[in-house]
Amino acid sequence: MSAAEILWQNVRPLFGALPVTLEVLGLLLVIGLTLGTVLAFAQAYGRRPLRYLCIGYEQLFRGIPPLVVLLFYWGVLQSFDTPRVLVAALALGMRSAAYQSQIFRGAIQAVPPGQMMAARSLGMSRLQAIRSVIVPQAFRLAIPPWTNEYSSVVKDTAFICVIGGLIDLTRQALMKVAPLSMRRPVGTQLILPYLIILGLFYLALTYGGNGLLAMLERRMRIPGFEMKGKVER
Amino acid sequence: MKKLLLVLSLLALVGVGGVVALAEKYTVASDTTWPPFEWQAGDGQLVGFDLDVMRLIAILEGYDVEIVSYSWDIIFVDVGGGSVDIGASGATITAEREAVVDFSAPYWTSNQAVIVMADSGLNIASALSPGAKIGAQIGTTGAKWVQEQLIDKGVDVTLVEFNLYPLAVLDLVNGNVDAVVQDEPASRASVAADARLLIAGVIETGEQFGFFVANGDPKGILPKINDGLQQLKASTAWSDLITAYMGGAELTKIEAAWVAAAPYLAAKDVVGFAHALAAGATAP
Repeated sequence: MSAAEILWQNVRPLFGALPVTLEVLGLLLVIGLTLGTVLAFAQAYGRRPLRYLCIGYEQLFRGIPPLVVLLFYWGVLQSFDTPRVLVAALALGMRSAAYQSQIFRGAIQAVPPGQMMAARSLGMSRLQAIRSVIVPQAFRLAIPPWTNEYSSVVKDTAFICVIGGLIDLTRQALMKVAPLSMRRPVGTQLILPYLIILGLFYLALTYGGNGLLAMLERRMRIPGFEMKGKVER
Repeated sequence: MKKLLLVLSLLALVGVGGVVALAEKYTVASDTTWPPFEWQAGDGQLVGFDLDVMRLIAILEGYDVEIVSYSWDIIFVDVGGGSVDIGASGATITAEREAVVDFSAPYWTSNQAVIVMADSGLNIASALSPGAKIGAQIGTTGAKWVQEQLIDKGVDVTLVEFNLYPLAVLDLVNGNVDAVVQDEPASRASVAADARLLIAGVIETGEQFGFFVANGDPKGILPKINDGLQQLKASTAWSDLITAYMGGAELTKIEAAWVAAAPYLAAKDVVGFAHALAAGATAP
């Protein structure tokens, strides 16, 4: 077998592992987005004890390495027979929620205070003003920084290779490295090209996802209402 | 009375049905990154010495096994905690591990091979002499041996640890370490695939591999494993498995032999499977 054939034979299973990575990624983004939004609003508008609670959550989850969070959740949730994909998505999603809450809080606070005042003076209730004046603007403002978090969590999914029974892209690749290195001709030379190909998978996920998000940003744009500061060149 | 009979016969029926339908099923955790003991074949099938021993013991003892790929880092924690039933992952029996899990009777005695570049002219003594850089996988007995038998005894060598054993070999090929210390069967597989590598010698560490279950064996699996192991060792299947996996045959060949032998496994023919596997792996 030629080196290219051996490489391809080992790259093919990566496609088989892709759905696991995508499943965890999708779930963790949903968890992170939902919880992150709630946290952001609680931090921006909540009363004192709630606000401090959310800040505490955010500080805790931003301060612990994702790997540690993942192993902790694994250790706890294993005993409750939780599906493995859910354990991974919960651990990484709750971590991501902490980061996302800051993106949304920043976006909410970037909407000028005059908007709230104007809305209230038109007779809207606070909740109404938040829902129909602040949120639509804040959501649009949050998309660009959110692409950053997306790019980051795509690669966080690689951490699930440390838990059991879930074969994601990275775990699949690690399972192939040893057999690959032991194949004729001279498998050791194929390890680095193989890892580069693994990297390309993540690059494609990041690049593709960011492309979709940029499209979303363009679609959602309301002419005249974007806060698009011209960059002087 | 009639009613009682009816209820009893129904119960008996359910009981019999239950026994037939619910042959005991155990999950087996294995870090499938370590040929020839456990790895993932080209077609995705998990194969290897440990896994086939597990499958054959299951046939002999009349239970089912499901093999789950696990990361080595958490395998003892999870087997010890009971979320997986059995660990089969080329694990050396140590007192440290005995604290978390219970081991079966030893099934394999392993020694450490020292791999060097064929053109380096190093022998086992010079490869491990002061000034040498020695590679090994983190947490393996190879790394432990270098630490305890060389560094702790004042021999001035540098131990370079790697997450995966193949990366140690890669660094050897790239000239960053002088030698790699690793279990003999894996080393033989590496050398079989790359003519630039050479086994300079074998260190007789004699560590014993065991399968393991949670402390106290709450599900009563260990007696079955030990009994099955004994039966297996008494048959020709044992030496056939060793021939197939430990003879230094190329992995691709072993994988093809496994596929060819698989029908015997489905037919629960222990001896036939091992024989076909050995024949396929050693065919010219």
